Amino acid sequence: MNPTLKLALVLIIALEISFTQVWTVNVVLLVVCFILMIAYRVKIKRLLWLTLVPLFFATALVWSLSLQGSASAHFLIVIFTRMFVYVYMGGVFTQTTEPLMLTRSLEQNAKLPSKFAYGFLAAFNLMPKIRTEVATIRAAALMRGQVLHVWSPQLYFKVILVAMNWSDQLASAMASHGFVEGAPRTHAVRVPLPTWNWWACAVSLLAVQLGLFLGLP
Amino acid sequence: MKGWHVRDIIFVTILAIFMGTIFFVTGPLYTVLAAALAPAGLQPLANELLLGIWVMAGPLAGFIIRIPGSATLGEFLGAVVEMFFGGIWGASTLISGALQGIGSELGFALTGYKHYGWFTLALSSLTTAIVTFGWDMIKNGYASYHLGFMALLFVVRLLSIFFFGGVLTKLIANLLVRAHVLPSAAH
Repeated sequence: MNPTLKLALVLIIALEISFTQVWTVNVVLLVVCFILMIAYRVKIKRLLWLTLVPLFFATALVWSLSLQGSASAHFLIVIFTRMFVYVYMGGVFTQTTEPLMLTRSLEQNAKLPSKFAYGFLAAFNLMPKIRTEVATIRAAALMRGQVLHVWSPQLYFKVILVAMNWSDQLASAMASHGFVEGAPRTHAVRVPLPTWNWWACAVSLLAVQLGLFLGLP
Repeated sequence: MKGWHVRDIIFVTILAIFMGTIFFVTGPLYTVLAAALAPAGLQPLANELLLGIWVMAGPLAGFIIRIPGSATLGEFLGAVVEMFFGGIWGASTLISGALQGIGSELGFALTGYKHYGWFTLALSSLTTAIVTFGWDMIKNGYASYHLGFMALLFVVRLLSIFFFGGVLTKLIANLLVRAHVLPSAAH
């Protein structure tokens, strides 16, 4: 399915189930997502992780709500299942979508300005370098007997200087490779948006609406 | 008022990834804290205590880049990074990220993107706390807590956001001013 459409669908459903309280729809959604993840061969380890973590947090939240609050049993079930739906829907999305394809699709199908699309991509590709840099900054400080914590301004100061430096260099590199902001572009890879995608999206949304507003518990 | 250029876009994205990398180490801390508080029914407190760390990318980006929308974009991109690399909360991460960003953006917008000092940061912390708390009332059922406990959660959240998004951001900005990276007229 087209990444932009998939993202929109996931976001709309997540928003809708946040504002409504129908646990049967939640259960149906999480079963569907679970089947999709199995179908897309998500690793068992990841699946287990996606189940155990929300299990802990949902249990803790429900326990806390029943101890410190006045929620009805129905509402507790809704909250409990809602958390799993978020996680499973997110799982289906991230396990079937490449960040690169999503950015391309956002540029071509959702008309995101190309300066944003390529700016994001340029920065995302620095990911491994960024991880190393944080470790380097910490190690360099340690050699001078300085321990940098999450709450140390120096850590962020250095990180910001590096980020400024790199963004300058990357922007000039892009300019020197002929990237012009706002200029019309051609695309080496086209992201398809077939009609059946629109149908799949519409039918899924319709099914969710029916479930939410037909008076199910 | 400035507009967005490729350089700013790359900068805010790199900053978001940096923040994500730094905060990744707080993941285990959150789990331990949540597990310790859970038996007493106080698990949400772990969330409130650490929330300031997670929403910090917003005020920091807003304070440094000073283009309308930078706080929102900084925080939202942080959420995107989290979603694709290891985070499990998926779609709700994106929604929370956007709301946290809009929350801190409000503080800068209310002062017309003109004043960059304590007042704006305090205002931004307050708007972030209000917007995110409203979302948790809907999403996580905070609305059904007893009033006293709800007030406790809100105050802890506000303090956490003010410490990380306000005090720490100002200290970082001071360092940047001393290094002549930010204009010293920031008041």
